[in-house]
Amino acid sequence: MTAFWRRHSTGLITFLLLLPALAGFFGLFFYPMFLTVILSFRPEGQTVGWTLENYTMFLSDPDGRWVIYLTFILALGCTAFSVLLSVPLSLILREKVRGHRFYRLMVLIPLVVPGLIGALGLLLFWGSRGWFNLFLTQLVPFVQRPVRMNYTLHGLILFYVWLYFPYTCVTTLSTLESLDQSIEEAGAVSGANRWQVLRHIVLPLITPGILAGSVLTFMAAFGAFSVPLIAGGDYRPLAVEIYKQIAVPIPARWSAASAIAIIMGLLQVAFLVLYMRFVRRTGGAGGGGQ
Amino acid sequence: MKSRMSITILLVISGLVCIPLATPGPAQAGAPTELVMVDSQSGANFQAYWQKYVIPAVKQSLGVNLKYLVSSDAEQIQKVKAWKPGLGDAHILFPKSIASWVKSGVPLETLNTSNIPNSAKIDPQYLKTDEGVELQSKAVLYWRTSYALIYNSQYIKNPPKSWKEFYNRRAEFKDHIGLIRPDAKSSAAWRQRLTFLHGFLREKMAMPMAQLEKDPAFQDAWNKLKDFTKYAKAPLPAEPPNLFEDFNAGETWIALYAQDYSLWSARQGTMPPTIKAVYPEEGADEIGTGYLAVFDNIPPEYKEVALKVVNYLLSDDQQIRLLTTMWQYPGTDITDQAPAIAWEMVPKLDVLTKTAIPRERIQKDIIDYIKGHAKELLP
Repeated sequence: MTAFWRRHSTGLITFLLLLPALAGFFGLFFYPMFLTVILSFRPEGQTVGWTLENYTMFLSDPDGRWVIYLTFILALGCTAFSVLLSVPLSLILREKVRGHRFYRLMVLIPLVVPGLIGALGLLLFWGSRGWFNLFLTQLVPFVQRPVRMNYTLHGLILFYVWLYFPYTCVTTLSTLESLDQSIEEAGAVSGANRWQVLRHIVLPLITPGILAGSVLTFMAAFGAFSVPLIAGGDYRPLAVEIYKQIAVPIPARWSAASAIAIIMGLLQVAFLVLYMRFVRRTGGAGGGGQ
Repeated sequence: MKSRMSITILLVISGLVCIPLATPGPAQAGAPTELVMVDSQSGANFQAYWQKYVIPAVKQSLGVNLKYLVSSDAEQIQKVKAWKPGLGDAHILFPKSIASWVKSGVPLETLNTSNIPNSAKIDPQYLKTDEGVELQSKAVLYWRTSYALIYNSQYIKNPPKSWKEFYNRRAEFKDHIGLIRPDAKSSAAWRQRLTFLHGFLREKMAMPMAQLEKDPAFQDAWNKLKDFTKYAKAPLPAEPPNLFEDFNAGETWIALYAQDYSLWSARQGTMPPTIKAVYPEEGADEIGTGYLAVFDNIPPEYKEVALKVVNYLLSDDQQIRLLTTMWQYPGTDITDQAPAIAWEMVPKLDVLTKTAIPRERIQKDIIDYIKGHAKELLP
């Protein structure tokens, strides 16, 4: 017994300590995922039999394919604008301008506000009688009519950016702050102007942080639900489509919803694989840029 | 090594001790004091009402703590189907569509005057069917709600008096008609269309859907509905909060919606104060229903308390409160007991029932048809 314990103790202890986490992981992730996969191949409303109909119906329907394109458009649009917003904002916040702690807190606000509340707030703010349009129509000359933001594609991307850009911003900012400023000073001493320092030194060095944050933003935007449900108008991405299959018809179309969920999951994994390959190639993940 | 081994053993023992502590024990002696109530019917106004008024009243009067769970019919039906006999963990149901529940075959307790004495005050026609489905005594009526054409008097001085007139004057309201998306979760999604169709089809709506679908009058009404949709404010609001926001923004001027919710929203400031209601003269408004049921597959001691709670919810005090607090019509016939002030806000129920769509014309098949053909009804 003692010899057995001596030989296997490390493995057993590790296993016992990991057991709760493994049980949780299998119970909370693998089991539901497994059930979803099974259900996606069942004929609608049946507990026996196999079919591919749930997949073929969705993928052969032009509306289904449009939903997939739309989901990518929204997620990619949101990611691109998040990067464009995060980099300059991080550069400003790094300088510790007056009130920078307040601004840093503000950046995190979208992460702590529930999506549904955020969406309703944004609808009110950008509405034709919201503050944004009141400001434009009453204070800006030549603006006679309210600018339409709610329920438009560009408006929805804007809402996504508000909600998900903190992922990119926080990682970019932390990478930027961990940067050794003497490298920039060396660049300046060597005769580079501020733009050249930024272009040739800072940006390449913070690229890993930007890419890591942007992948988080992309994933969150790809799975967005509350915002497009409330503020999407006719633009309803995959998550809303899944919800619609369950919430609207009675009995619910669980098999159809499961098939769309699996398609969504596979697309996310595929994109993630491609993205990580791109990140590795650019030297992002390993910090090779440095 | 010894200390690692001791820590491991300690962790395992702690886990083994904690698991039984965290697991709910067997039912204690005496009647249960905590029940779970599932609500897939209430909108935001009534979700607040349940938590603010009803649950505290139940606690005070019966000593029962109601755990209030907002859910959807589809999700809950799926859950209840998985229950083992007698082990259900939710007890009272307030569904969006009792017809869907009865049709799904999920076991519900039979309710009658012997276990729910206050159900004697409910008009028997409401206990017999809903959405054209025989209720088989599986539910009791909790409330009735009225739908009306809600309009903003700031923009509309002469509202249409019927659906036909509304359709004929549709160009006048172009881009300002509020139609909720036909694939929305809210029941307004199908109610708005159903009442529109009824304005043109009347008694034909009582026909079986398979027969009605082939009727030229139905095709004509359906085409009118599709055409009418083109005059609605686009994009169609996804859910009621969007509709209200459109009203607030001045983009929507008129829509068929629940009278109680509209009045409540105006009071909350989420609808313009200039909101008014009109009841189309051709029977184009509808009396919506909300039913209470008790799950069958639950422990008997819980069922007994659940029945007491449902009976309490049908008591005169609770039913009048529906009217005086929320402008919602009671399920029981106690309107003569309501204070006169209540009728200053809403018309008496008998006024509405004269113009309401007869219940046999509100068929689940038509509702399912509208939901199933939602794509055609998007502009």
